Amino acid sequence: MSAVSFAERRAALGFCLHCWLSLLLLAVLVWGSFAYLSLDLARLFTAESGRGMLQFAMRFFPPDISAEFLRKIAKGTLETLAISAVGTLLAAGAGLLLALPAAGRMGGVLKGLTRFLLNALRSVPELVWAALMVLAAGLGPFAGTLALALHTSGVLGRLFAESLENAPPEPARALAESGAAPALAFVYGTLPVITPQLVSYSLYRWEMNIRMATVLGFVGAGGLGQMLYYELSLLHEPQASSVIIAMLALVVLVDAASAWVRRRQMRPAG
Amino acid sequence: MGFELDRVGLVHANGQAQGQRALRAVSIVAARGERLAIIGPSGAGKTTLLRILATSIRPTEGRVSVLGAHPWQLGAGELRRLRSRIGFIHQAPPIPPRQRAITAVIAGRLGQWPWWKSALSLLYPADIAGPRDQLARLDLADRLFDRCDRLSGGQLQRVGVARVLYQRPDLLLADEPVSAMDPALADLAVSQLHSEAQSRGVTLVASLHAVDIALRWFPRVIGLKAGEIVFDLPPAQVSDSVLRDLYASETALPSQDSEPFHPHVEHAQEAAGAARASVAPPRVI
Repeated sequence: MSAVSFAERRAALGFCLHCWLSLLLLAVLVWGSFAYLSLDLARLFTAESGRGMLQFAMRFFPPDISAEFLRKIAKGTLETLAISAVGTLLAAGAGLLLALPAAGRMGGVLKGLTRFLLNALRSVPELVWAALMVLAAGLGPFAGTLALALHTSGVLGRLFAESLENAPPEPARALAESGAAPALAFVYGTLPVITPQLVSYSLYRWEMNIRMATVLGFVGAGGLGQMLYYELSLLHEPQASSVIIAMLALVVLVDAASAWVRRRQMRPAG
Repeated sequence: MGFELDRVGLVHANGQAQGQRALRAVSIVAARGERLAIIGPSGAGKTTLLRILATSIRPTEGRVSVLGAHPWQLGAGELRRLRSRIGFIHQAPPIPPRQRAITAVIAGRLGQWPWWKSALSLLYPADIAGPRDQLARLDLADRLFDRCDRLSGGQLQRVGVARVLYQRPDLLLADEPVSAMDPALADLAVSQLHSEAQSRGVTLVASLHAVDIALRWFPRVIGLKAGEIVFDLPPAQVSDSVLRDLYASETALPSQDSEPFHPHVEHAQEAAGAARASVAPPRVI
């Protein structure tokens, strides 16, 4: 085995120069951030802070599982589910209506206008819509439903419009050329082609909206989130911990259910 | 009251074929109940000619009269009523893959039924016996409630034929209607088109790749080559030399037996469209 030459060492160092530079940049950024925010990383790892964290965590145990509070949680869970379901359903309807012009089926002007509207709806996050809707419609589930419906309309409208644009035009055109009215040619010729996509997009957004609905309550838009915010504000840690467990259970259940539905839907014809 | 084409020509105005001439000075007069076959090499303009008769494309030259009307002088409502009397059998059946056969057949009457009847038929078919009987004529009654993506190419083509039979049009246009069927089924399908034409006085125009079917079934055969009519004869006068001239660039005469389903150049776009329709997967983001 011959000795490694200087040229070889230089080549080995140089072949991933940008790796070295990236690591260096990352280190500088992390250090800079900590310095700017005056975070004392060392304090996080002292025995004292460890005890403090443990004490804080222990205050959440045991969770409140009195029958009365569980009933309240069940009500909150149902409310969250209802907010997400109604919000998504409204959004799917509005999305399909907006998708038709957005896919360019009613002329270029309307296409541009609806695309702009969809972008606007979509680019405002659910939480911001919820804060606005709480101002407009008052505290409670109605505001949460509206917030989800508005944001999701933007998302689904855009996705539906893309499905429409990619759908083959032949079936609907053939029907129109045998005298079918445009609306009927659409429901017989185009809708059956894109329905699986519309359904799977909507289910996926519903799943996301259930998770979102648990959080929306923080700005007063009803459901489990509002309960959690309320209990935390009053420093009722055992109750808050029950609500958090309920949220986790709900999300796990929804994930499992949606995976099951999607598996069924994806199954090939047979 | 069949149709009349008077020196019809077509130069493609846009698309890939921009500026190309598809038809030149085509004149055909057909009476009610006449049955015509159009034969010719690939790219001769057979599909273009049928689509002009279907009022789906407007010729750039000449006059078109279909079922006693001038389609390009009609208002939208009148044109729709005229089109509901024209049936078009596509080579690649334009049927959504997940649609059930019965729904695909019922769609033939969308132009005739009131809208609520058509809309309700998506939930529960307003007519079951009718579509079943039409499919039965093509030996397919047992697939009435099957989804179209579970049918073979030949079965799907028969659903497309059944749809147009169910439409009960006064002008029946067929673009390679039996290209995906075996010889026995092709014969059955063509015979059903003929009995429909004869019993109801329907004008039938079919483009066919299989010359033997054209000569066996049709009282009038039109040869089309490079967008122009080469001959317009009864089958007895279509001799081998006439056919050799028509297919001058091809080595053997095509027949149903020798020609399995191969979309020709002129149908490539439709075939591609059908392929796209059948592989639209549910996308999950």
